[in-house]
Amino acid sequence: MVRLLIIWVILSAFGIVAALQLNYPPYDQSIQGQDQASTLKLLTVLATPVFIGVVMMILYAAIYFRRTVPELVDGPPMLGNTPVQIAWVAISAILVLFLAVVGIATLSSENVAQAVGQPGRAIGQSGGQTGSGTAGGSGSELHVQVIAQQWYFTYRYGDYGGVETTHLYLPLDRPVELHVTSLDIIHSFWAYELGVKADANPGVDNIFHVTPQKTGSFQVRCAELCGLWHGHMADSSGQVVSQSDFDTWIAGQQADFNTIGKVVPSYAPYYFPEPKLKAG
Amino acid sequence: MVVSERRLAIPNNPIAGILLAIPGYFAGVWLGTLFGLTDDQNTGVILGYLLATVAFLAGVGFLNYPLERLFGWQVIPITDPAENRGIGRFFRLSLDHKVIGIQYMVTILLMLLFGGIGAMLIRTSLRPFGNYLVPLMIGARRMAFPRLEALSFWVVPPAAIILAAATFWGGFPTGWTGYPPLSEQAGQGMNSYIVGFALIAVALVTSGVNMLATIIGLRAPGMTWTRLPMFVWGIFTTSILGLLAAPVLAAALIMLAMDRTVNTTFFVASNGGSNYLWENLFWFFGHPEVYIFILPAFGIIMEIVPHFARKPLWGYRTGVVGLFGVALLSWFVWQHHLFVSGIAPVLRPFYMLSTELISIPTGIIFLVTLGTLWRARVWFTVPMLFCLGFLFNFLIGGISGVYLSDVPTDVTLHGSYFSMAHFHYTIMGGEIFALMAAAYYWLPKMTGKMLSPMLGRIHFWWMFIAFNSTFFPLFIVGLLNMPRRVSSYNPALVGLNRWVTISAYFLFGSMVLFAANLIYSWFFVARPALANPWHARSLEWQVPTPVPARNFDRVPVIVAGPYDYGLPNARPVADLGGIVGVTGGG
Amino acid sequence: MLRRVSLVAAGVVIVVIAIVAFVGLFMLRQPGPLAGTTTKLHLETVAALSDAVEWPRPNDPHPDWVGYLPTTTWHVPANSTIQVQIDQEDGASGLRNPFWGKVFGIEGGTMHVKYFDDKGNPQEGDMDSIDPTMAAHTFAIPDLGVFVPLLGVGDTAPPGTQNIITFSFKTKGPGIYRWQCFVPCAAGTLFGNGGPMSTIGYMGGELIVT
Repeated sequence: MVRLLIIWVILSAFGIVAALQLNYPPYDQSIQGQDQASTLKLLTVLATPVFIGVVMMILYAAIYFRRTVPELVDGPPMLGNTPVQIAWVAISAILVLFLAVVGIATLSSENVAQAVGQPGRAIGQSGGQTGSGTAGGSGSELHVQVIAQQWYFTYRYGDYGGVETTHLYLPLDRPVELHVTSLDIIHSFWAYELGVKADANPGVDNIFHVTPQKTGSFQVRCAELCGLWHGHMADSSGQVVSQSDFDTWIAGQQADFNTIGKVVPSYAPYYFPEPKLKAG
Repeated sequence: MVVSERRLAIPNNPIAGILLAIPGYFAGVWLGTLFGLTDDQNTGVILGYLLATVAFLAGVGFLNYPLERLFGWQVIPITDPAENRGIGRFFRLSLDHKVIGIQYMVTILLMLLFGGIGAMLIRTSLRPFGNYLVPLMIGARRMAFPRLEALSFWVVPPAAIILAAATFWGGFPTGWTGYPPLSEQAGQGMNSYIVGFALIAVALVTSGVNMLATIIGLRAPGMTWTRLPMFVWGIFTTSILGLLAAPVLAAALIMLAMDRTVNTTFFVASNGGSNYLWENLFWFFGHPEVYIFILPAFGIIMEIVPHFARKPLWGYRTGVVGLFGVALLSWFVWQHHLFVSGIAPVLRPFYMLSTELISIPTGIIFLVTLGTLWRARVWFTVPMLFCLGFLFNFLIGGISGVYLSDVPTDVTLHGSYFSMAHFHYTIMGGEIFALMAAAYYWLPKMTGKMLSPMLGRIHFWWMFIAFNSTFFPLFIVGLLNMPRRVSSYNPALVGLNRWVTISAYFLFGSMVLFAANLIYSWFFVARPALANPWHARSLEWQVPTPVPARNFDRVPVIVAGPYDYGLPNARPVADLGGIVGVTGGG
Repeated sequence: MLRRVSLVAAGVVIVVIAIVAFVGLFMLRQPGPLAGTTTKLHLETVAALSDAVEWPRPNDPHPDWVGYLPTTTWHVPANSTIQVQIDQEDGASGLRNPFWGKVFGIEGGTMHVKYFDDKGNPQEGDMDSIDPTMAAHTFAIPDLGVFVPLLGVGDTAPPGTQNIITFSFKTKGPGIYRWQCFVPCAAGTLFGNGGPMSTIGYMGGELIVT
């Protein structure tokens, strides 16, 4: 028993050291992504000794408690052991509650709380929210509407005259408020390296806060089955760029947008143009 | 009371059922063209499926008894099981729980063979054992409601055929979650989803209420709650979930059918509906539902391990509490499927905590099993190997579940291959491994033939390695940015994906090996099974093989627990009357 | 006994080897270069396949669906310029997202359109966008950044006329690129995106670049 314990401690130590070496997705392109990566690391560090311990018990039982004699023999009639049972339940309860407390703490710290999507307003309500009213809104936030449609994401920049673009560019170190919505069915906006995932529901404004902290490209994907071209509903040209590069890029987009901008509805955080139900 | 001499002319067999179902289907389609509000054929196809199912059940003979009673005609009893031992009994309506168990088993095997449609019907894959074994294990001669039991089986073949029919309409594009509005945009295949799953819901409800009534009401004298085998406890808890969860699914499916046929807009945002309604209804059913198939698996593991460990179950009451804990908590976790959907933020901590709490009762199952193995004299049979494989796989499945329950990490993992790997570890690595353990353990009793242990061992190692080699890489693939149900992906992942694809074929090969073992053992070697080849104490092994038509000559009196191995002065589990030659009662 | 077991085992091994060979030979093989590649794409869009004159599809299971003709799988060479001509004869059903009324990703930034104006007179000219409500379909290859709205035939045009849209775009490296239409033109389905919009061979397909 003691021997087992020692082996478990040694193996767990190795396991934890190995778990700490790994580079956890979604890495560190945004503050929120970094928080998720560190939670992932914490979970792996906690899971390692549990996994090793239980596997050791299974293997130990399989190897050492084999019947060695040919004929059937009964084992010792152990009916249970209340202290062991209480200890087991207590340990698992402590682990679970610890995880829950850590999870809730990260959840209520500002960044992650905003990073898991917020409820949309009532269906059918229009206009309303100016976009800066949500928690932590400092006024410097960039408002970007993510419009999902079968089968592509487009983006509108509320602070730049509602210019609509086919790729997502974000300036460095500036908090972004994403308003994720859909024009038809449910999609899910997943910007992998940014640690962003928010469902795009028709007629719902799903808000998600993210702050990029590293320049570079990121991938955008749909993460909710949305029909024929779901697997192709992706774009690897997302970019986090410096503020000056962003200004240059958005000016070009605005020039492009001029003609069609006249017929596109003006920007509002809630976007659900009158649909053609059963078109045709 | 005057009983008329007139007899009902409806024959009762599946061929008559099929012959009636075909005109039933076309009558439904015709009605749909008469009354359908939309110019697609959704109304007709749904009515067609429903009428075909009712006609099939009528042809099988379910309407005979009510009609006979209604008109006061002569009641023709369904043949007494004791008089009918031919192979034909498996092909028609039977009220013998053992025949229904075998019918179920063959149906499930056929469905697994045809693959695709197994995805939903796999949820019923432990039913054959429940039907066959529960009455035997509690010392009953039949189920509480044999007609209901037969119904809960006979709706499954129409459900399977209707779900398979979806492929002719191009399948249903939504996967098993059926999220609207996509499911309202989808073509005819979606109608198969609605009717097929509704029939499965009917099966869940009817078999749930029947199992509960049987276990509560028909236990033999002396079969106290603390002597109930763990498998029966597993079926008991799962039946509670099935009975209460399936109606929610049925309600959601009816709304979906109405949206598709009579232009209601329950789930259409532009007309006042909301897709959140479906998401909540579906997962309120869906999460208890995943425990519907894991609870019997827990029961199987805790049932089989003591018999081969030759030790009493270590902490019987704790194990039962664990089963009930899982069953209870399963009602409070469904919104963890909706963490990124935009639900109210205040709900997230609650659903995160409740989901993580499930690991406590699950941990209890592990404790009880490992405690039973501790210092045992383990007889390493094939079922035992599968039990240990279950423990390993479910451990990984359980731990990865914690990753998904944690909201911050779920943002990245949700809907990725990570979650797919997680639920395959619990369902395939868990439920299917338990199913295999049950098959190697109980099939000798059910079929009278032992399965080859050597092929069984090869089967286990092959399946265990192929399974892990298929699904473990998916955790990594998921972490590296690959969503589910996607055909194009990051080129860097091509290698891993190929590895997974090839492993999946090997995994399929292990199923072929299992089928080969069945055929080899049944038809080529036919090593007859003894009444009790495992020398197990529990009641189902005390009756002869093949099991007599009425199970027990006399109602057995239970005098000891099923797992009292090694206890000094342990008595046999039951006084079986006739078998031990007690003459009493004349 | 042992012989039988080994026979069964050998049988299983053979089955598995066959499966592996099947996978290796067929499932995992990349599609090779195909003959008949072209740098010109001549397409036609019709309101219903049964209307097609130039490229009839008599045995199509859905004669009343909208579609691109003659085919929806297009083979083109990599890193080259593709000249496209689309004979568009469907009426307008309007864009769900008006933004797609603008042209993206084609050579020169404009397409050349021959059409009939409000008074029924033939017109032609270069356009970089169209009125979103007048779009009948779009020609869109998102992974190449190509989005071209196709002007619907107006009510005032003589019956049976076509709008002729020509433009060219550049392909990138080899691969399979999906293309689709962004006008919800599938009549009778929710949001107009079911049926022909959700089935390869009508309003969507693959651009195979080799």
